[in-house]
Amino acid sequence: MTENPVRESRLLRGVHRTVTGLHPALESLVAAIVGLLIGALLMYIWGFDPWKAYWALLRGAYGGSYEWASSLARGTPLILTALTFAICVRAGMFNIGAEGQTMIGAMAAVCVALFAAPTGLHLVIGLVFAAVAGALWSVVPAVLRVTRGVSEVISTIMFNWIGRWLALYLAIYVIVDPMRAEKTLTVPVTARFPILVRGTDLSASIFVAVGVALLVYFLLWHTTMGYEVRAAGLNPTAARYGGIRNKRTMIISFLLGGAAAGLAGATMAMGLPPSYAIFGGGGLPELTNLGFDGMAVAMVGRNHPIGILMAAVFFGGLNAGGRVMQFYGSNPVPLEMIRVVMGAIVLALAIPELIRLFPAIKRQGERLFAVLRRRRETRSKEGEA
Amino acid sequence: MNENAGPGARQNADGYFLRAEGITKIYSDGTVALKEATLEIHPREIIGLLGENGAGKTTLTKILSGLLPPSHGRVVSPRGPVRFANPREALDFGIGMVHQHFALVGTFTATENVALSHEKPFSRIRLAKTRERLEALMEESGLRVPLDVPVEKLAVGEQQRVEILKVLSRDVQLLILDEPTSVLTPLEVDELFALLRKLKEKGTSVILITHKLKEVQSITDRIIVLRHGEMVGDVRTAEATAERLAQLMVGKTLDGAPTAVELSAEQLPRVLSATRKKGSSGEGILHVIDLVARGNTGELAVNGVTFDVHGGEIFGIAGVEGNGQSELVECLTGLRVPVAGTATIRGKNILGKDPRQIYRLGVAHVPEDRWRLGLVLPFTLAENAILGVHRWKEFQGPFGILRRGKVNQHVRELMNRFDIQATGPNAPAKSLSGGNQQKLIVGRELAKDPAIVVASQPTRGLDIGAARYIRDLLIEMRDNGRAILLVSADLDEVLALADRLAIMYEGQFMTLCRPDSLNREQIGMLMGGVACKEVA
Repeated sequence: MTENPVRESRLLRGVHRTVTGLHPALESLVAAIVGLLIGALLMYIWGFDPWKAYWALLRGAYGGSYEWASSLARGTPLILTALTFAICVRAGMFNIGAEGQTMIGAMAAVCVALFAAPTGLHLVIGLVFAAVAGALWSVVPAVLRVTRGVSEVISTIMFNWIGRWLALYLAIYVIVDPMRAEKTLTVPVTARFPILVRGTDLSASIFVAVGVALLVYFLLWHTTMGYEVRAAGLNPTAARYGGIRNKRTMIISFLLGGAAAGLAGATMAMGLPPSYAIFGGGGLPELTNLGFDGMAVAMVGRNHPIGILMAAVFFGGLNAGGRVMQFYGSNPVPLEMIRVVMGAIVLALAIPELIRLFPAIKRQGERLFAVLRRRRETRSKEGEA
Repeated sequence: MNENAGPGARQNADGYFLRAEGITKIYSDGTVALKEATLEIHPREIIGLLGENGAGKTTLTKILSGLLPPSHGRVVSPRGPVRFANPREALDFGIGMVHQHFALVGTFTATENVALSHEKPFSRIRLAKTRERLEALMEESGLRVPLDVPVEKLAVGEQQRVEILKVLSRDVQLLILDEPTSVLTPLEVDELFALLRKLKEKGTSVILITHKLKEVQSITDRIIVLRHGEMVGDVRTAEATAERLAQLMVGKTLDGAPTAVELSAEQLPRVLSATRKKGSSGEGILHVIDLVARGNTGELAVNGVTFDVHGGEIFGIAGVEGNGQSELVECLTGLRVPVAGTATIRGKNILGKDPRQIYRLGVAHVPEDRWRLGLVLPFTLAENAILGVHRWKEFQGPFGILRRGKVNQHVRELMNRFDIQATGPNAPAKSLSGGNQQKLIVGRELAKDPAIVVASQPTRGLDIGAARYIRDLLIEMRDNGRAILLVSADLDEVLALADRLAIMYEGQFMTLCRPDSLNREQIGMLMGGVACKEVA
């Protein structure tokens, strides 16, 4: 491997193709600078001082151990939901369902409150519950795709809603805390992730997230199963020629992705102080948008586990630092403006991967269009009849 | 060369509609597709353009219809030279082409499609007017299509008629049809020919691109034969015999028709470096009986094929592309499920099995399309080198762990043994040249130590050196007692390599024989769908 002339670190295997031909990290850096400049321009136009605002962002995100811890804590579930999207993209599928899978996973994790078990083991049981629940929730759209040709984009989005309302129902009526109707049962101490930095949200759940990312990397690039998944994702016809069963790789990718999303739910239920519970009141606020943000993290991280780890640190920083921008001294920036600026930065960072995925996205679009057209035709036929 | 170029020249100079003078086309990659082609097109004439794959038929017509500019030469009308920047200008002049792949908007009706083709940017679409015009045109030509149904719901033959209507509605003087009959049923072909005759009576000229001898003889007035980009014949149909045309199409020598073997010996340096030995027929490995399979559009692509391939022989399937060879290979390699028939490898059924199961029986498959089937282009050389064998014990450790060290070692061996030029095992397959990509595929397949190699167009697009090398490898495999099924559109290649030969035409074998029992002219006729007996 040492004489390998293609300059590419081992861990970044699989991201060698960039739009600009630059090293992926350099390309992302350029994209980030462009995004920051656009954000700065927007703030400048609306009369805010971009320098002070970005300084607040930086301080709030990475200004000290407390800030670092908050950033990492916010990034933790995003690592897992980003992996969900990334694994499926590598298999040539678009899993938009991390949102629902996360919620179902969180509910499964809360169920550990229903019984007692020794410390540690209790935690592991909760993680297994969450992973299995997430995987099962995710495999249904995959099976529909494999057996009936249902577009997984549509079905996973639908399953997001089913999952969301089911989770809400469970949180309000089934595993509800009888003393406090707005939240679920509290996860017992024996099943909680220990806090790593006192006074912050950063819990040991980050090790789970990083561990899963490394595991996914190993599975994809160092096992024959991962080889088959990637081959089927890049060229399904050649994969079939090579004796790879594409339906199998689809199911595998969704199982893995769903398990990761379920674990993201578990990190929220079992690792988020001080409540260690999911709030049904307000409509699952802790869980909402984790899945969708994860897709952005996956894009910024180029759908690569290692890239995702870096992107998640960045995203966590944006989230944590963004709060500080709102109340930083002489230059408070309203929340709406912060969202606009973040949107610009994230979009700029995601563009290289979006371009790379464009053919696949286009194919999906065409599939969807075909489905809609068939529907319209059936309807018009029914109308005639 | 053009001893038959007479008919055009004999005509009165102002009798022509269009004249192409010394047209040469060199593509940007250096391929010379057309060399100094000169022809005249007269009013009320149906010209057949005959030739093998890659003979330059389509290039010539694309130049006439304004799709491609010629590299040298010019197109002249009686009023002076003409130059078309795009097909629209050619249409305005009166030249329209119907391509093999239709340019129709599937969700639009025939009327809408025709209206669309008429309009300049930002002008109004006049559907009612177009419809009127179309109805008049249909009345006049006897060509009927449903006007208010989305064209994607029409049969292929009807879609073709929409395309023809689209062109006719522009009042063309010259209609060019590229392989129009390849998608049609026999009845539809008759209808099309009746239409063409009617058009001819009304004063339109037609150029018909085809490789089917019978068709070209039944409908045309004049036949122009192209071979390797050169116009090798321009004959009146009445004077042309099938033998003569076949000879022109597949190559001729001055002193009589040589047998295939003589000719391939003469061509040997181009095709092979090793001397040709007779294959010794060993045990039967592949047996195929009455195989029937449908193509992608549901047509009967393979229509009852029976043959067997023995160890130690190369069984060649020749024929013009698109006559069912691809579908046949796909059936035998697990990529397509046939409708009927049986196929066994060493006594075990292979039909309906997936590729994985078939490979286990000792089949190696060099696919015809190396980018779509043979390689995962973004993958590295190493990753591509184990496609299909990645689950072998050699490469897969406990828990399904990929043994990258072993894989890299394997790739290095392949690179040395098969002379694959690349920067290393981790170079993306995309970065390799076509020849090296093909060597990688062939190397990977031969390294499987197979009982039978199914090689489909194994040397397409390769330079002479790489092609020769791959042919030598096939011969070597044969000499080691393996069975080889070679499918190729390159007639020289099949003739030089095959111990036994089948010629495929419209899903059936026209003949199954030793290559030296036929002369080239007979082979040409069989490829064009004319059986030997009919001729002899």
